[in-house]
Amino acid sequence: MVPEKIKPPVSLSVLVLFGLILLSLQLMSSATQESSQLSAMYSWLLLVNALGSVVLLGLVGANIYSLTRQLKKREAGSRLTTRMVSLFVVLSLVPAAIVFYFSMQFLHQGIDSWFNVEIDKAMEDSLELSQASLDQRMRWHLRQTQQLTDRLQEASESLATLEMENLRELSEASEMTLFSRQGRIIASSSINPGDILPSLPDEHIWLQLRQHAEYVDLAPMREDQLMIRVIVTVKAEEPQYLQALYPVPVRIADLADSVEFAFVRYQEMHFLRDSLKLSFSLALSLVLLMSLLAAIWVAFISIRNIIAPVKELVKGTQAVASGHYDQQLPVIVQDDLGFLVESFNEMTLRIARARDETRLAGLEVENQRAYLETILANLTAGVISFDALYKIRTVNQAAYRIFHIPVSYFIGQTLSDIAHGYAELAEPLKVIQRLLEQADDIWQHRIAFLGQNGRRELLCRGTPLFSQEGRRVGAVVVFDDVTDLMQAQRNAAWGEVARRLAHEIKNPLTPIQLSAERLQHKLADKLAATDADILQRSTRTIVQQVEAMKEMVDDFSEYAKPSKKQTADIDLPGLVQEVLALYAVQSGVKFKVDYEAGLLMIKGDPVSIRQVLHNLIKNALEAIDAKGQIEINLNRLRKNNGNFIEIALYDDGPGIKDEQIEKIFEPYVTTKAKGTGLGLAIVKKIVEEHGGAIWVDTSRKVGAGFIIQLPAI
Amino acid sequence: MPVSLSDKPQLLTICLLCALAWLCPVSVYADEFAVNIKKAEMTLRGNSYVLSADIDYQLSNSAKDALQNGISLFWTVYVKVQQRRAYLWNKKLLDKEIRYRIQYHALLNIYRVRNESSGAVGNFSTLSAALHTMSMIRNMPIMDKADIASDAHYIAGIKVSFDRDELPLPLRPIAYINPQWYLSSDWYLWSLKK
Repeated sequence: MVPEKIKPPVSLSVLVLFGLILLSLQLMSSATQESSQLSAMYSWLLLVNALGSVVLLGLVGANIYSLTRQLKKREAGSRLTTRMVSLFVVLSLVPAAIVFYFSMQFLHQGIDSWFNVEIDKAMEDSLELSQASLDQRMRWHLRQTQQLTDRLQEASESLATLEMENLRELSEASEMTLFSRQGRIIASSSINPGDILPSLPDEHIWLQLRQHAEYVDLAPMREDQLMIRVIVTVKAEEPQYLQALYPVPVRIADLADSVEFAFVRYQEMHFLRDSLKLSFSLALSLVLLMSLLAAIWVAFISIRNIIAPVKELVKGTQAVASGHYDQQLPVIVQDDLGFLVESFNEMTLRIARARDETRLAGLEVENQRAYLETILANLTAGVISFDALYKIRTVNQAAYRIFHIPVSYFIGQTLSDIAHGYAELAEPLKVIQRLLEQADDIWQHRIAFLGQNGRRELLCRGTPLFSQEGRRVGAVVVFDDVTDLMQAQRNAAWGEVARRLAHEIKNPLTPIQLSAERLQHKLADKLAATDADILQRSTRTIVQQVEAMKEMVDDFSEYAKPSKKQTADIDLPGLVQEVLALYAVQSGVKFKVDYEAGLLMIKGDPVSIRQVLHNLIKNALEAIDAKGQIEINLNRLRKNNGNFIEIALYDDGPGIKDEQIEKIFEPYVTTKAKGTGLGLAIVKKIVEEHGGAIWVDTSRKVGAGFIIQLPAI
Repeated sequence: MPVSLSDKPQLLTICLLCALAWLCPVSVYADEFAVNIKKAEMTLRGNSYVLSADIDYQLSNSAKDALQNGISLFWTVYVKVQQRRAYLWNKKLLDKEIRYRIQYHALLNIYRVRNESSGAVGNFSTLSAALHTMSMIRNMPIMDKADIASDAHYIAGIKVSFDRDELPLPLRPIAYINPQWYLSSDWYLWSLKK
């Protein structure tokens, strides 16, 4: 982890830096001691410390800049860092500033207290006292030397040399020299016999001497010994100058030196007072500045280290908030924050686990749903579910197969909406819709409609759905295509009836007929003409009725047996022409056949279809009583996504009564005086077995009209 | 030293900067002060070259005040002679330092000039007399005639430098900042011929 890697060097460098700062400050402090050898380096130390301050200032500035940028970017933890740093700065700065202020006060007052007017005056007075004391001594020596000149006034140069020694000893001078006016040494005597060359006055002294005729001063001589130099004029014909050097007593010289040293020292201090204050203030400021800057810098580093886990936590929380549950944060330190980080890690781990489990559960549910959907889709029964407002929610594949309507496009709509687009389904759909809305329990209803593959019969079962609170939340409708089943049932029923009829009725008919014929045959000759005539009429009636009954039974078995025996492609116009040709010979009837050119082919049993045409034409002929017009129209049309051939047959007879229209296709229903009443029933059966439909065209006002629709090829 | 009880480190820095600015005088001082080398030459006397130079010491008021208050002032006169070489750096022939110290004695009311290099001491009743002594370098033997080759090219230079590090400690930082204490001359260079 990066923070752990850089942590030891940072703390080490901080320690080293602090050591350097302390060393530098200590050196500067030592250098301020006048006696210290470091004092020569004072300026450099000051510079180094100032540079150190600048470096620290730079570090702090860089940290502040970086923090400001983080604040602007709204980085995690930046506000907390700012608050902590501000708090630290305020907490450290206020006491430091107070200490600084009072230190300054004490420093200035302390320095000022060294000096006062009394000491000033005392110092100056003591110096003046020294000067006055020395002055007095100088004047005394001047007078003494002037008195000595009297003894030299008349002396010759050679005498002067001898006299000089005496005079020097007399006056206790350390050296005495007689100069000519031009500065030539005439005679000289010294306390120290080794001194060959006497001390010579300089230009400046000569100048004074010529102006004032005498000269006295106090001058430091060799080995810093103070000497009083007195030069006076010796009044003679040739004026001469006598120079005498008097030593200042050691005690007085020492005292004067001491006074001067103290005075100079005091004066220097006085002069340096402001500089001293400034210097100390500078040093103090520097110490304070460096300490503060270093503290602030270290505060930045420490706070950053403290904040690091918080920062990580904030980032981690943001990541978790945005859905990344795989966050694991590094645990840097084992403290409260470390505990927090560990808890966070555990929390994210649990959340991630919970999420995975939820996902798995969701997957499981989804699989189950998909499985159920697959089962539903592959059911032969159509299933449509509805919501509380009877709008379609789900629909399976079988619904499409049954209705040939893409019901799934109508999800969210009601069945009535579908009915608008598919008129042939309108009625059954409306019925279902009504049932859905009204039924409170399981309902069952059988509906029929003309579908793509002809007339279909559906068995619909529906049930409303209730929530656990008993509220109606929708409904589900299951429907099965029971066309084939119904047909088979019907066929089986009629087959059974026919078999029974054949067995129970037709079988006794032949013996009845034979018996009647035998009666006729045996008794005709034996009876009287009248009786024979009655017998003949009776037996004929019996035979006729038996024949009729046989015919009826045959018709019935004809109706009962399946019509679609063998299928072939049938060209309908051809078949119609063929059938009409049989009836064309009958006079008085006009046949009108009308069909569009094109493919008008169906698949079916030609014999059965032919029978359909025969039955219908025969019916029509009977209806018009062989006088009038029979019209046959053939059309190809598209309906329910399928192609159909429509055969419309019209006559101009009396027509069918309204009350008979509904039952006209049922067996044994007839309007005619004779006939079995099976003709139209057989027609309907054949048409339905071919997947077609037949109905009475009620829109026709004149005569009767039948419309047959059969699936086209 | 302005002090304020502020709680911002920046303010403290500003205060220090103000203090420094206060030390640096903005206006030009009325008195002219500088140390210049007016003339310098080396002449052959006998078998040795001797240096003669005229140096102009004009002390600033600060320097005069300090001197008057018992603070010693130090100057170092640097003398150098180098041989110019075409493709190499100059060859050093001579690097000489002469150190002067001037001090005021309050008791005797004299200025004492001491040549630290030779130990010679001079006492003067006026400052100008003392400076005059320092300003005249006359016939100071520098090097042997034999050290100078006739076909080579030589450069001689002289510079006077005020020794700020000899000032009392509190005065030193100020001396580095305040122009009143800029009492050094530039190098005075001339070509030396045999």
